[in-house]
Amino acid sequence: MRLFSTYLRLAVLIFLSVFTGCMEWEYGVEEEFSASGSGLFIVNEGNFNYGNATLSYYNPATKEVENEIFYRANAMRLGDVAQSMTLYDGKGWVVVNNSHVIFAINPDTFQEVGRIEGFTSPRYIHFISDEKAYVSQIWDNRIAIVNPKRYEITGYIECPAMTMESGSTEQMVQWGDYLFVNCWSYQNRILKIDTRTDKVVAELEVGIQPTSIVLDRNGKLWTITDGGYEGSPYGYEAPALYRIDAETFSIEKAFRFSRGDAPSEVQLNGSRDRLYWINDDIWAMGVDDEHLPVRPFLEYAGTIYYGLTICPLSGDVYIADAIDYQQPGKIYRYTQTGEKIHEFYAGIIPGAFCWK
Amino acid sequence: MRGFLVILFVVLTAYAAQAQTTENWIDEGLSIPEVAVLGEKPMKDIGTQKTSFSESVLKENIALSMADVLTFNSSIFVKTYGRATLSTVSFRGTSPSHTQVSWNGLRINSPMLGMTDFSMIPSYFIDDASLLHGTSSVNDTGGGLGGSIRLSTKPLQAEGFGVQYIQGIGSFRTFDEFLRLTYGSRKWQFSTRAAYSSSPNDFKYRNRDKRENIYDEDKNIIGRYYPIERNRSGAYKDLHILQEISFNAGRGDSFALKAWYINSNRELAMLTTDYGDEGDFDNRQREQTLRSVLEWNHLRQTWKIGAKAGYVYSWTAYDFKRDPGNGTMEVMTRSRSLTNTLFGQVEGEYYIGNKWLFTANLTAHQHFVESRDKNIIRQDGNKAIVGYDQSRVELSGALSAKWRPNERLGLSLVLREEMFGRDFSPIIPAFFTEYELSRRGNIVLKGSVSQNFRFPTLNDLYFLPGGNPDLRKERGWTYDAGVSFAVGRENSFLLSGSASWFDSYVKDWILWLATPKGFLSPRNVKEVHAYGVELKTDLAVAFNRHWKLDASATFSWTPSINEGEPMTEADKSVGKQLPYIPELSATLSARLQWRRWAFHYKWCYYSERYTMSSNDITLTGKLPDYYMSNISLEKGFSFSWADLTLKGCINNLFDEDYISVLSRPMPGINFEIFIGITPKWGKR
Repeated sequence: MRLFSTYLRLAVLIFLSVFTGCMEWEYGVEEEFSASGSGLFIVNEGNFNYGNATLSYYNPATKEVENEIFYRANAMRLGDVAQSMTLYDGKGWVVVNNSHVIFAINPDTFQEVGRIEGFTSPRYIHFISDEKAYVSQIWDNRIAIVNPKRYEITGYIECPAMTMESGSTEQMVQWGDYLFVNCWSYQNRILKIDTRTDKVVAELEVGIQPTSIVLDRNGKLWTITDGGYEGSPYGYEAPALYRIDAETFSIEKAFRFSRGDAPSEVQLNGSRDRLYWINDDIWAMGVDDEHLPVRPFLEYAGTIYYGLTICPLSGDVYIADAIDYQQPGKIYRYTQTGEKIHEFYAGIIPGAFCWK
Repeated sequence: MRGFLVILFVVLTAYAAQAQTTENWIDEGLSIPEVAVLGEKPMKDIGTQKTSFSESVLKENIALSMADVLTFNSSIFVKTYGRATLSTVSFRGTSPSHTQVSWNGLRINSPMLGMTDFSMIPSYFIDDASLLHGTSSVNDTGGGLGGSIRLSTKPLQAEGFGVQYIQGIGSFRTFDEFLRLTYGSRKWQFSTRAAYSSSPNDFKYRNRDKRENIYDEDKNIIGRYYPIERNRSGAYKDLHILQEISFNAGRGDSFALKAWYINSNRELAMLTTDYGDEGDFDNRQREQTLRSVLEWNHLRQTWKIGAKAGYVYSWTAYDFKRDPGNGTMEVMTRSRSLTNTLFGQVEGEYYIGNKWLFTANLTAHQHFVESRDKNIIRQDGNKAIVGYDQSRVELSGALSAKWRPNERLGLSLVLREEMFGRDFSPIIPAFFTEYELSRRGNIVLKGSVSQNFRFPTLNDLYFLPGGNPDLRKERGWTYDAGVSFAVGRENSFLLSGSASWFDSYVKDWILWLATPKGFLSPRNVKEVHAYGVELKTDLAVAFNRHWKLDASATFSWTPSINEGEPMTEADKSVGKQLPYIPELSATLSARLQWRRWAFHYKWCYYSERYTMSSNDITLTGKLPDYYMSNISLEKGFSFSWADLTLKGCINNLFDEDYISVLSRPMPGINFEIFIGITPKWGKR
C-alpha cells in the first residue's frame, strides 16, 4: 500500500505539472492606424468556410504594406470570404460574402464604424445616394436595397428568370438613373435597373457567364464572359468581350476569344479610356479599338492571376497571384508600360482591390 | 444544465460509494496474461506495425465515435470540425484519403471523396479495431499511403438471451441510448444493436472572432464586446442499427451476416464569423446508409478459405436553405448523391508446417454513383442538374509468402495488384522482416518497405465543374523500422512498448486548386516527404487484489514536408509542413480500478498546426497547440436479477478554449452520465 501511495503522489504531481496547460490566445488588442492620403486596399478572400479573410493596405508612395489591418484595428476577424470593397462617403464598405455582412470602416484608422447584416450571400455594394445602395447577391434572386446611414436593408429588387438557387447578380455600374448588373453564375445576362423605381426595366443576353462589368468614358459598358466549362449543362462556348451601348442597351460588338480561354476581371484605368483584363496573360486595349490586341500587356508567368486593378492616378497595374490558395498571395505592381516596380505579399487569395 | 449535471454526478457517485457490493462481481477490463502468451508472434503479422484497441477502449461509453477513440488512444491526428461533425484523420502526416478504412473487410471510404467520416462510426458498434501503420496496410489493401484502419464486429459467443440497455444524458440536452439484444446457442448467434444520439448541441462559448457593437441613437458605435454565443445550427440526430447473425455449421464451416444501417440528420453549425440569423438559414446534411456483408469461412488444421459478399447503399443530401422573409425556407443549394456498391472478396491461407504461410486474397468493389450537385435554369429556360453519373470497378488482389525459418526470424513478402476502372497499378511489393533480439524482454526488431499507389476518387475525376479525368495515381515508397518489447509477470504487471521510425515519399499528390475560370480542379502537384517517429507503451499493473491500473500512452513526431517544385516563383510552401497536420501529438489513457470502481483519465496533445502551406503564422491563421483532458468515474453493481453500471463523464475537464479548425467552435467543460442495465435472464 505504501508503494501505491508513492505512485499516486507521483501521478498527481505529473498530472498537475504537465496536463493542465492552457492554450495561448491573445485577444482584445486594438492597434491604432493613421493611414491618411491615397492608398490601396487589398481584399483577401481567405478560404471558404475557414473565416480567414483579411484586409491589407498598401501605400504606393512608400511601398509599404500592412496586412490583417481589419483584425489589428478591431481585434476581431473580418470573416469568411471577403468579396469586395467600395469607398463612399468617407467610409470603406467591405462585403464579406459567407459571413452575410458588410462592414463599414474608417479608411484611415480601419476601425469599424458600422455594419449591415441580414444578407443571403452579398457580393458587391453600389451607392445610389447617401441613403440608398444596392447589394448584389449569389444564391438569391434579389438585389438588396440598403440604407447606409441606418445600416439597414430597406427592400429588394426582384430579378427575373432566377430562383433562389440559380440567383446570381454581380458587379454594378451606373449610367444616369440606370444601373447595370452582370448576372454571372450559370447566367448570361446584363440587367438594367431604374434606380428611381428600384425595378428591373430591361435585360440583355450576352455570352455565358459574364464575370465583370465596367463603364468607359464613352458611355459604353464592357463585360467579359468566361464561356462556361466543358460538360456544363448550361453550355460551353468561346468567351467574349462585349461592348454595349448604355443608352440603347444593345451590344455594339463582341470580341471573341478562343474556346477554352478564361478571360476575367475587366478593368479600366483612371481616365476610363483603356481596358485591362486577365486571360492567362494580362491584356490591355483602348476603349476605341476595334480589334483585340495581338500581344499581351504582360505575358503569362506560370501562375493563375486572380485579381487585377489599375491605379486611377498613376496608371500602374497591380496583379494578384493567389499561388496555391493556401498561403499569402503576392501582388505585383507594374508601370503602365509594363515595368515591374514592386512586389509584396498580402493575404490568402487576394481577389479584389479598392483605391482610396 | 451544467450545474444540474454536476450535482447529479456527485449524487450518483456518492450513492454508488455507499452501495453494497457482492463478492461474485466479475471484474472487467483487466486481466494480465503471461508475457509468454503476448510474446507469441503470429505468422500473419510478421514485421507489421500494428496498433490494436482493446474492448475496454472501444466500449468506454456509448457516446463515443471512432473519432474520439482515435483522438485519445492513437498517434493519428483527428481533424474535427466540431462536436458530432465531420471528423477526418491524418495518419502519419498524410491526407484523409490516404487512410483506407474497412469494416468487416468492406472498404468504407467514400468512393466520391476518398475519405471516411469517423464521427459517423459509433465505437460501441466495433468489437475489434486495429491500425496498420504505413507499409503494413499493404497486407490488407492498397492506397493506404498513411496506413489503414481495420474495423470489425464479432459474435458475442454467449448462450441464451441477453439484453443490455444504456442510457446517457449529458450537457446541451444530449441523449444517447444503446440497446443490444442477443441470443446464442451452440450453433447460432443473433445480435441486434441500436444506438440513437441526439442533441441541439447548442453549447455556449465566448466568440472572440467577432464583436458586438453598442450603438447610440444615430447608429454610432459607442462600445464593443465579445459576445457569449451558442453553437448555432449544430443539432444532430443519429440512428445506428447493427444486425448480426452467425451460424457455426461445424466441421470448420461458419457463416455470418452483418448489416449496419445509419440514418443521420445533422445541421452544419454556423461559423464563428457568421453574422446571419440562425432562424433565417437551414444548413443540413442527411445520410442513409446500409452496409451489409455475408461471409463464409472454412477452417482446417493447416488451411483456411473464406468468401464475402456485400452491398452498400448510401444516400446523402445536403440542403442549404434561406427564409427570404416570407416564412418559407427556399433552397439555395440542393445536393444529392447516391452510391450503390457491390462487394466481393475471396481469401485463402495455407500453412506448411509452422515455418511457411501462404495467403491470397482478391477484393472487388463495384460502385455506381449518381452525384447531383446543383439545379440550374438553362439558357433555353428548362431546368437542368449539374452532376455526374459514373460507375467504377475496383479490384485489389494480393499474394503473400511468410516464412519463419527459426523462432527468432520472420520474413514476409506481399505482392499486390490493383485495378480501378481500366487503370492498373504496377505490382505493389511489400517486404517485411522481424527478428527477436531477446526472448527475455520479448525484444523484437522489425523492418519493412513497400511501394503504394492511390487512385483518384470519382469526384477527382468527374466532379462538375473541375473533375480532371487526366489525373495520375498518387504513388509512394514507405520505409519502416522499429523495435518492440514486452515484460511482465502473470497477474502482477505487464509493460510493453514499441518505437518505430518511418520514412515515406509520395509523388503526384493530388490537390484541388482554383482554375482561371474560378472553380477548383484537382491536379497532381505535390511531392510530400512524411517521416517521423511513433512511440507507444502500455502498462497493466495489479498493485494488489483490488487496485489495478491499465494505462497506455502514445507519442508521435510526424513532419510532413512539401518537397515539390514551387508553383510560382512566389510560392513559399516548398520545404514546409503541410497545413493542418501537427508535427507532434501525444495521448495518455489510464484506467484505475478499485473493486468495482473505475476511474478513467484521458489526455491528448496536439502541437500547433499551420493553416497555410507557407507555414506563416498570422493573427487570423493561428491554431495553437492544445491539451485535452477527459475523466470518468464508473461503478458497477451486481444484483441477483441484473448488473447495473453508473458512469459519470467530464469532457474538457479544464474548460480549455480550443479549436481544431479555424472558425469552428468547440465545447468547453461538459458532462454526461450513463446508466446501464444488463438483466441476467436466468443466469443468476
